[in-house]
Amino acid sequence: MTQLVSFENATLGYGRRVVLSDLTFSIPEGDFLGIVGPNGAGKTTILRAILKTLRPLAGIVRHAPNLRYGYVPQRDQVDYSFPLKVVDVVMMGRYDRIGLGRRPGESDRDAARASLAHVGIADLADHPLNALSGGQKQRTLIARALVGKPNVLILDEPTNGMDLVATTQILSLVRELHERDGLTVLMVSHALNEVANYVERIALVMNGGFRIGTVDEIMSSSVLSDMYRIPVDVDSVNGHRIVVARRNPDGDDIAHDGRRPVPHTHAAASETAVPGHEVDV
Amino acid sequence: MFDAILLFREALYGTLVIALACSVLGVYVVLRRIVFVGAALAQLSSAGIALALWLSGQGMILWLADRPIALALLLTLAGVVFFASGSSRGRIPPDATIGVTYAVAAAVGILLIAKAAHGEAHDIFLQGNILGITRADTLILLATAIPVLLAHALFYKEFLFVSFDRETARTLGFNVDFWNLFLYLTLGLVIAFAMQFAGVMLVFNFLVLPAVTGLLVSRSMGGTFMWSIISALVAAVIGFSVSVPLDLPSGPAIIAVSGVLAVVAFLIRLLQRR
Repeated sequence: MTQLVSFENATLGYGRRVVLSDLTFSIPEGDFLGIVGPNGAGKTTILRAILKTLRPLAGIVRHAPNLRYGYVPQRDQVDYSFPLKVVDVVMMGRYDRIGLGRRPGESDRDAARASLAHVGIADLADHPLNALSGGQKQRTLIARALVGKPNVLILDEPTNGMDLVATTQILSLVRELHERDGLTVLMVSHALNEVANYVERIALVMNGGFRIGTVDEIMSSSVLSDMYRIPVDVDSVNGHRIVVARRNPDGDDIAHDGRRPVPHTHAAASETAVPGHEVDV
Repeated sequence: MFDAILLFREALYGTLVIALACSVLGVYVVLRRIVFVGAALAQLSSAGIALALWLSGQGMILWLADRPIALALLLTLAGVVFFASGSSRGRIPPDATIGVTYAVAAAVGILLIAKAAHGEAHDIFLQGNILGITRADTLILLATAIPVLLAHALFYKEFLFVSFDRETARTLGFNVDFWNLFLYLTLGLVIAFAMQFAGVMLVFNFLVLPAVTGLLVSRSMGGTFMWSIISALVAAVIGFSVSVPLDLPSGPAIIAVSGVLAVVAFLIRLLQRR
């Protein structure tokens, strides 16, 4: 299987600050990988190395030739005060093909409309971007990423700030794009409970550590307890995996090494009656 | 009234050039939320003019007295590089850095003018005097505005992309730092030249109010640029036409008309929503 991106003992960081060191893993063609971890753990740093906007401080990051990325940024990175139509935003995904100083043509507009149809919002093409719902905005950004015919679709926190319905719809769309189009997909998220039920492999980034494997390999009590440094259970509800931190009898969650874990604030999408409480990743 | 306007027609032409250039750049200034970068650059430019007059008054670099634009450009472009490279320095938020630049540049400009030879007479450089614009001045303004506007027409796609979503632009291979610097440079050039004639307040007005009017009236980028330009030109013509016969200061009169147009645009927006 063709390896699209390979990290070989790569150390990543900014200036003298090392964020992650000695990373060795590959992303094969057709992969559906979730890169999961809390804010500040280094997920975006890995993403930047994959996107070639960050060079490794040491080691090597290899990219397959003629690799083309479709990037879906976090929704709050986009400025919605710009008075742009949805179709105009999607056309931006072809700007690099249009050439310096040239304007998009009819073929670019047609491609943008086709891409919008591909993600199920063809009827919104001429709507103002800032009039859309969160889920529709995310579909627009996915359409923009797809209009450039990428080999790899990369999504950065695609469900951030969305409700349960919109989250499920977006993750189902991404999975459909992977299965229907055979697209290699990398999805960055802080919500393990969301990602684990859609992707095929998971890369966990936290506490300076990095683990990658299939969902079955990563979603085990021992691996997650080791990574989170607190006792963690993995349960199954109607076929969905749910990660919960084990609650101590006295009510405090104490790390294996005796330290209290840093509290997290995220509430995962699935609300269940599973004892204990969910772990934020 | 018409005779009075004819008498100052060269000044009106120059004002229209400033209005046109600033109203186009102003759309980016407002949308990118760098309104106060525009104000700080205008103050830096005025400080450059003041420094040139002070230096020549002290007998140093005498030719600067006739060409204060040289130092105005130098300081403005230094500001452009500083702000374009990200004005956040360590723990100081970017808007605080902009505020410091604005306040210090304004104070330094006033202090230098106070100690410059014929300082009071030179105050006009800081406040602007659009009635004093000559045909030669208009040609200088055109020589600045035309290349800047051509660059914006030619590289609209690039300026828009790096302003709207710089991270995605970067992943598609756009040199975001270069295009940002280029955009800021065009802004700095227009501000430095316009400042000599229009002063801080009027330049700031042309950078902000027409763009706000355009954004209120239109729902597309093309429409926003069009209404920004139209409202700037209309404000310049009406403000000028009213101020000359009534012996009112032209700059504030133009700003007042710009304000009225922005309010009208706001009311139109309200009616559109109903």
